[in-house]
Amino acid sequence: MRSMMTKLAAATLAALVAGPIAGWAQTASPGAKSATLAQVKARGHLECGVHTGIPGWSFPNDKGEWSGLDVDLCRSVAAAIFGDASKVKYTPTTVQQRWSVLSSGQVDLLSRISTLTFKRDTELGFNFVQINYFEGQTFIVRKSAGIKEPKDLDGAAVCVAAGSTEERNATDWFRERNLKINIVKFEKNDDAIAAYDSERCDTYTAGTGALAGQRRKLKNPADHVILAGTISRDPQGPVTREGDDGWDNVIRWVFNGTLIAELHGVTAANVDKMRADSRNAEVRMLLGADGNAGQILGLSKDWMFNAIKQVGNYGEQFERSVGMGSDLKLERGYNQLWTKGGLMFTPVLD
Amino acid sequence: MPFTDSILRPGRLLHDGRVRGWLAQLAIALGVLGLVWYFVDNAGQNLARSGVATGFDFMGARSGVDIDFKLIEYGPDSSYARLLLVGIANTLFVSAFGIVLATVLGFAVGIGRLSQNWLLQGFSTIYVEAVRNVPLLLFVLLWYYLVIRGLPAPRQSIDLFGAGFVNNRGVFLPSPVAGAPFYAVPAAFAAGVLATLVLRRWARARQDATGRPFPVFEAGLALVAGLPLLAAVVAALATPWNWPALRGFGVRGGVAVIPEFLALLAALGTYTAAFIAEIVRGGILSVTRGQREAAAALGLSRRQVLRLVVLPQAMRVIIPPLTSQYVNLVKNSSYAAVIAYPEIVSVFVGSALNNTGRAVEIIAITLAIYLAINVSVSLLMTWYSARTATAAR
Repeated sequence: MRSMMTKLAAATLAALVAGPIAGWAQTASPGAKSATLAQVKARGHLECGVHTGIPGWSFPNDKGEWSGLDVDLCRSVAAAIFGDASKVKYTPTTVQQRWSVLSSGQVDLLSRISTLTFKRDTELGFNFVQINYFEGQTFIVRKSAGIKEPKDLDGAAVCVAAGSTEERNATDWFRERNLKINIVKFEKNDDAIAAYDSERCDTYTAGTGALAGQRRKLKNPADHVILAGTISRDPQGPVTREGDDGWDNVIRWVFNGTLIAELHGVTAANVDKMRADSRNAEVRMLLGADGNAGQILGLSKDWMFNAIKQVGNYGEQFERSVGMGSDLKLERGYNQLWTKGGLMFTPVLD
Repeated sequence: MPFTDSILRPGRLLHDGRVRGWLAQLAIALGVLGLVWYFVDNAGQNLARSGVATGFDFMGARSGVDIDFKLIEYGPDSSYARLLLVGIANTLFVSAFGIVLATVLGFAVGIGRLSQNWLLQGFSTIYVEAVRNVPLLLFVLLWYYLVIRGLPAPRQSIDLFGAGFVNNRGVFLPSPVAGAPFYAVPAAFAAGVLATLVLRRWARARQDATGRPFPVFEAGLALVAGLPLLAAVVAALATPWNWPALRGFGVRGGVAVIPEFLALLAALGTYTAAFIAEIVRGGILSVTRGQREAAAALGLSRRQVLRLVVLPQAMRVIIPPLTSQYVNLVKNSSYAAVIAYPEIVSVFVGSALNNTGRAVEIIAITLAIYLAINVSVSLLMTWYSARTATAAR
């Protein structure tokens, strides 16, 4: 489509223009730990790249306010930097635009259910700072089709977004098993979902989390079922440009902070009391009662206090956006803390 | 000569209008080149600094993506270069059919708008106004949803009298097991064209000599269309067929024409036809009334007036804007990306760019290919226009 080319051309042009400015800023402020952080502070808000819209992950309401688990990460970072979770400007990005938007410097951070892969980490020049959601890819099908598991889809037409990891995963998985599928690829996830809903395809494929959100866009969500089996592993998390370790540290430790808070039972409701009364050394460090963790990152003493108070810990964010407190009703599963049988095992704040 | 004067007296060189003109042009050319160099150099440096891999080496790597509609051999193990070829072939395929459809429909509607028959005229006018005032993107989506919602699901496929099926996954037709006998079809087509040319020459000579006309158009049509058809029937009988059959999720076997192709072809053809119709109408109106009246006075029928007098003169006015429409149609085929027809933008700017991250390289290649296709179309049309132009008066 032409608009896609226009956007890409615009992103390329932005890279040409913004690149030298970013480079200049980097050399001009050698004292700052992170050039990106200095820019964000000077600008007064965080630029966050998100998905164009999946309920539970990043979705704007009728007032244009964004919510979701990916959005909550942006809000936590903004709260840690500015003491105000609302100081974020969201840039909705399609599957194709996201990398150009990030590498051109249009956004400081991409928080957009993107899978961590070797090529993206190396050749594309990005850092996957931490994993904030573990999942696998599966399929949504019409109940009437009577499909139980992915291999029953032999001969099916599969709607996908062109160039997504889902496209390659599905192609490889069925080929390996000598099964045949017809890939029907669209520019946007939404076009693919709409085509599936119009019965052009027998299935639409995505990660379990994204599917739970996309399902809500179908005309009759109850007529569809998400298959239990998965065909891939999809570790997803926030992405930054390579070359600014200080900025990566900020994102990584804000996210770790939301996990540490959950581990010690620090919530949005009790964070004031915890800062005053807690005798746990890590909690005191996290909330700025002891030590100078915030300053080391180039932030204020209250960084995680503000983040937890305004956005909540990881468990709260999860339940509110995609868990039992939301319409998606996803189980915590892999994304539970390791103490409760999940994979969320966090580094130590000392 | 003022110029030689100024060469002899260099001080006056700057007062020479032509020299100043050259200098200005040189300065502008250098400025543009410098700007381009600056941007290219900057982009290169920025890419190098950001650690993004660059270069065209990715073209040889395994693509890992599959295409459900391809005219050349291709699979997930093929390279990105091969993927690009699949995209180019699909772009050319839909554009070629689109141009034929748009031309036939456009000429019919354009002539229809000038018809004495008010029903035909009214319908043509409504068609042009309704179609050309709608954004093409919406038009493409409209056709797409008409096609995939209008056709039945695979289980309720429409049976084409046992020869194939139509459903919202496409049109499924039997495919020949061996393709070789079908080389006779293009050969027969070429023979038909050649025979028509010879026939036309003979008919002209006879008419000049005896005054008796010969229905060259009808005979030519029969030769050009009939000979390949005959060859196809013979070839079809000579080879075994792979019949499509309803099985599992859809249809197995045979050859499939995907609904995205049908929708895109319909959208591009009907949309561009509205513009071509206006061009044709303008061209015909540009032929003065005296020409028609003179032709009628010679006793030519209304059809003969149109075909022998009006259209040949109108064509000189029609060709240049018609070329623009053809070029537009080729470019507009990139709207396919929203409806999953795997042409160059969808497969290369979509899948390949996203998998490799080589934005600058891939956009540059894609732009170069559109440029090459459209310059070829323009050159072809210019050649045709020069050939049919009357001698300058």
